[in-house]
Amino acid sequence: MSITRRVFLRNSALTVVGTAAVPGFLARAAMGAAAQTGARTKRLVVIFQRGAADGLNIVVPHGEAQYYAMRPSINIPRKSVLDLDGFFGLHPSLASFQPLWDQRHLAIVHAAGSPDPTRSHFDAQDFMEAGTPGLKATEDGWLNRSLRNLPQPGQKTPFQAIAMGPSIPRILSGLEPAIAMNNVNDFSVGGRTAKPSAASNAFEAMYNHSTDSILHGTGEETFDAVNMLRSADPSKYKPAAGADYPKGRFGDSMKQLAQMIKANLGVQVAFADIGGWDHHVNEGATEGQIANVLREFSQSISAFWTDLGDLGEDTVVVSMSEFGRTARENGNRGTDHGHANVMFVLGGPVRGGRVYGRWPGLDQSQLYEGRDLALTTDFRQVLGEAVLRHMGNKNLNEVFPGYENQPGKFLRLLG
Amino acid sequence: MRLGRAKVATFLVCFSLACAAPQLVAKKKEKQAATSPTDPRRALHALNRLTFGPRPGDLQQVMSTGVDQWIDLQLHPEKIDDAALNARLEPLRTLRMSSHEIAEEFPDPQEIRQVMNGKKSMPSDPARRAVYQVQLARLEDKKERKEEAGKNLVATSAPEKAPEKMSRSSEARSAQSMASNQAGDSTGAENPVSNSGSNGSMSTESSDTMNGGSTEAAMAPVVPLAMTPEEKEQARLREEQLYTDLEVQQLPSLPPDQRYRKVLAMSTQAQLTFADSLKGGKGQEFLQGLAPKQKETLLAMNNPSQVVMSELMQAKLLRAIYSQRQFEEVMTDFWFNHFNVFVDKGLDRVMLTSYERDVIRPHALGKFEDLLVATAKSPAMLFYLDNFLSVGPDSAQALGLPAHPGGRGPYGMRYPPRPRPNPAKARSGLNENYGRELLELHTLSVNGGYTQHDVTEAAKIFTGWTIDKPAEGGGFKFDPRMHEPGPKLVMGHKFKAKGEGEGLELLHRLATSPQTAHFISLKLAERFVSDDPPADLVDRMAKTFLKKKGEIREVLETMFYSPEFWDDATYRAKVKTPLEFVASAVRATGAEIDDPQPLVGQLNRMGMPLYGAQPPTGYSMKAETWVSSSSLLNRMNFALALTSGKIKGVTVDTAQLAGSAAVPPNADAALSALEAELVAGGVSQQTHDSIVAQVAAEKNSSPQKPNGKSDPRKPVNPPRSPDVCAIAGLLLGSPEFQRR
Repeated sequence: MSITRRVFLRNSALTVVGTAAVPGFLARAAMGAAAQTGARTKRLVVIFQRGAADGLNIVVPHGEAQYYAMRPSINIPRKSVLDLDGFFGLHPSLASFQPLWDQRHLAIVHAAGSPDPTRSHFDAQDFMEAGTPGLKATEDGWLNRSLRNLPQPGQKTPFQAIAMGPSIPRILSGLEPAIAMNNVNDFSVGGRTAKPSAASNAFEAMYNHSTDSILHGTGEETFDAVNMLRSADPSKYKPAAGADYPKGRFGDSMKQLAQMIKANLGVQVAFADIGGWDHHVNEGATEGQIANVLREFSQSISAFWTDLGDLGEDTVVVSMSEFGRTARENGNRGTDHGHANVMFVLGGPVRGGRVYGRWPGLDQSQLYEGRDLALTTDFRQVLGEAVLRHMGNKNLNEVFPGYENQPGKFLRLLG
Repeated sequence: MRLGRAKVATFLVCFSLACAAPQLVAKKKEKQAATSPTDPRRALHALNRLTFGPRPGDLQQVMSTGVDQWIDLQLHPEKIDDAALNARLEPLRTLRMSSHEIAEEFPDPQEIRQVMNGKKSMPSDPARRAVYQVQLARLEDKKERKEEAGKNLVATSAPEKAPEKMSRSSEARSAQSMASNQAGDSTGAENPVSNSGSNGSMSTESSDTMNGGSTEAAMAPVVPLAMTPEEKEQARLREEQLYTDLEVQQLPSLPPDQRYRKVLAMSTQAQLTFADSLKGGKGQEFLQGLAPKQKETLLAMNNPSQVVMSELMQAKLLRAIYSQRQFEEVMTDFWFNHFNVFVDKGLDRVMLTSYERDVIRPHALGKFEDLLVATAKSPAMLFYLDNFLSVGPDSAQALGLPAHPGGRGPYGMRYPPRPRPNPAKARSGLNENYGRELLELHTLSVNGGYTQHDVTEAAKIFTGWTIDKPAEGGGFKFDPRMHEPGPKLVMGHKFKAKGEGEGLELLHRLATSPQTAHFISLKLAERFVSDDPPADLVDRMAKTFLKKKGEIREVLETMFYSPEFWDDATYRAKVKTPLEFVASAVRATGAEIDDPQPLVGQLNRMGMPLYGAQPPTGYSMKAETWVSSSSLLNRMNFALALTSGKIKGVTVDTAQLAGSAAVPPNADAALSALEAELVAGGVSQQTHDSIVAQVAAEKNSSPQKPNGKSDPRKPVNPPRSPDVCAIAGLLLGSPEFQRR
């Protein structure tokens, strides 16, 4: 059985692979979906692994003897990796990524990340979200800035930018409006009911008529979103067949995000994060801490992909982490803060089935500061390609100021 | 002509008096304006900014005291009696304990490990012993499982772990009752209920018997002819579990003292089961009626450091809501946030109580330098920013040399410096975290004009500033062996080598620097005036800071008595943070809190967990951080839940809300009464109209319920036909109430 890349059918023809329920699809069309105008909404989903994920144990360079020498107790044995190309292999917990790799929707960039030398979680996350490594004064986030000069296929909706969580993270802070959604089921006043509650109406009137500029603005956005959510009712979009989200906060976030995308709410950029990567002690190998969180990570994302079905054609998902971890294990069967890391890029237009970037090697002389994986691809090179070639924002110097954005030097991850 | 002169003189006197009169009258008016009983806006503004929100009656009180006098009183909290608050805090014993005592009673996993490895002995006190036993059992389980299968390892000392993740006792139990994968644990737990027919041996007296004679009967047919040793062991463990669960189930029926003693006397296995039933705030029935220390001990069986953190958070809410020394609490919050420490990082869990009580609050209205030095030496900060580990690359410790300050031998000779063994390794001994945050966040600010090199040098100055026996809650210690020898150069100033004195010198320079003066003034103005305060005011405050050598009270007075502070533009300019919102809502309704924990949970959901800011920058105090869709919806839902009694642990007396005196005849009157009560300064016409319209719509759609359905507790003729709770909820969720 050959595994072929999923074929997306255009226009309103029904596809076979993992679509949403038919009525929903038609409902989208009825709501004036962008499909009818010919220009379809492109979506960029950013996932942040907070805590410095151990890239070397995620996409394992099993072809490197040094890897095994440096990690006697926490390496992934050659017989356990899911081989990708004879040199790299996936950690076995990432089994659900294998079909995506085989179908060539999943690409990997290794030895990527931020050039800033900081090993402080907070600073590094801040730099990566602001999009300006080394510069602390930046107040907004690159993902928010990326919304500013997008070609508009349709009307902007309150859901153009969603952060799954209780507040807007730095990456989505800025001038463009963004919604923070902790739980789509709680996103209402007085409970999710078919009709708005009396209190909800009263509040809506209050905030819409308020002369308070900040609260009025956000209040209006909020109720627009609440109302739109009510009529779209994303909860009726059950996960597609085969989309098995694991239990847990991250799986829930991805499930809800898929619902909102399928409900045609106009989502253009979205953000979710997953913690639990800071394995200084007892990282584990094929089993253990990292194995557990990788399972949650990959199963949530692949379920999301399956769930989106047809809509995956216009969606690109990128993962990143603030820095990687030391090449050598430490004295506690764990790893400490490092430098370069691995990024996953998944999506319809992605030229998957390849590991991009230049592999610097793990010999002592090849390590960064003698201890970490060296950096060969700046994270902005990867993100810049997604922002320019997928989302269509040509003003990269505004999205990543201070960086030499060179489209000619893109990795050409996207077809 | 004498008469003429007299006339002229009189005329002149009268004239000059007449000229002076307007000025005199004006001065009197000014004075009156400051303290006039008819000027509520000034009083309201003062209350909004210096407290966590006005309570019913506060406005009148401030107006009759006089605004200026009231402010002055708040600036001197020692003059304010706070006995009522202290009574509320009484049961939270850990608030009064030193870090050392806390560490002993609420052991850290490291401590448990020491006992496990035989390096320390078990405590003899039965309460403490019980806590240690349970934690030890859990740790041993983990060790066993690790050794057996290497599956599902859980690190117990990873810094960023959340407390809920720390105790996996259900896994521990399941590991205990099975040698290999058997689902015996959870199903086994249910069985004893049906097998409790053999109640005779289940009586409450004997707590230690696990193998009562009737077990065979209870277990019925478990008799293959030859049981392997493993099977026997599994069967035995299952039996144990049955007995344990039954014991635990019968606890609530016992009187408190007996119940407590029984738990202490239980086997460790039983105690484990018991501890599990307390997870997630459940199991309140087990804790009913216990004395505070007893409650703490039992909760500590589940998770020791969680007890400490929980009490700290509850106390913060109680103080914010009930303290009479409101401004002191506001300033304590301000300085804690400025010198932020994240509660959920390792040992900080048990060190923060002392940090807030002994370091922050006592200096909140004192001298900045005193506060700065106190934080620099606090174990909480030294741990949080890793300085207690920081070792100078050329220090005695790094080079393996004997300790000697200044690097000179007994006769003034220099010790020859040995070549560094491994540059990378030596460098990693120095930790720059504190040095950087000291300059960037605590004093000069990010634009303070320092370089990376300055950060490194500052870090070297602070090597040796460490903690004495951190896991035991020890205090500050200067360790010369860790200290980097030699002079240092920070921002152009040369610091002569003098051990601990270098750090004090640097702190002094920072505390008296104009950049610091400006930065602190700016932060104060951002919190108390507006998100973007007038530069001129900040400059004047900075001048006061420098002139008065960092006396915080003086800087505050410059701010509070400035025209900018009282300007119309400043009135209601700030958006409340979630803490300010929750506290002000509870204060405005005069609600009674008998359990602060659910409110603590609400703050978690609103994105502002108490003591929970992970990065050293602390929480932002600006509107843009806290105004998002998610947070607005949270606030509206909270307001509705609070006034309709749906927040556990908080009781709102709605009868009192509507005003005890006159019975409001209609919705409009009720609304006006509530507006005056709840939202100091009133609401806008738009808000008022929206609520009126909504109430009218509701009234038209659903006529008043017939008396037959009404709550028997309510009076026969309910005087409040418009729903007071709903209106109050709408008011607390209104845009006006989000501001202060």
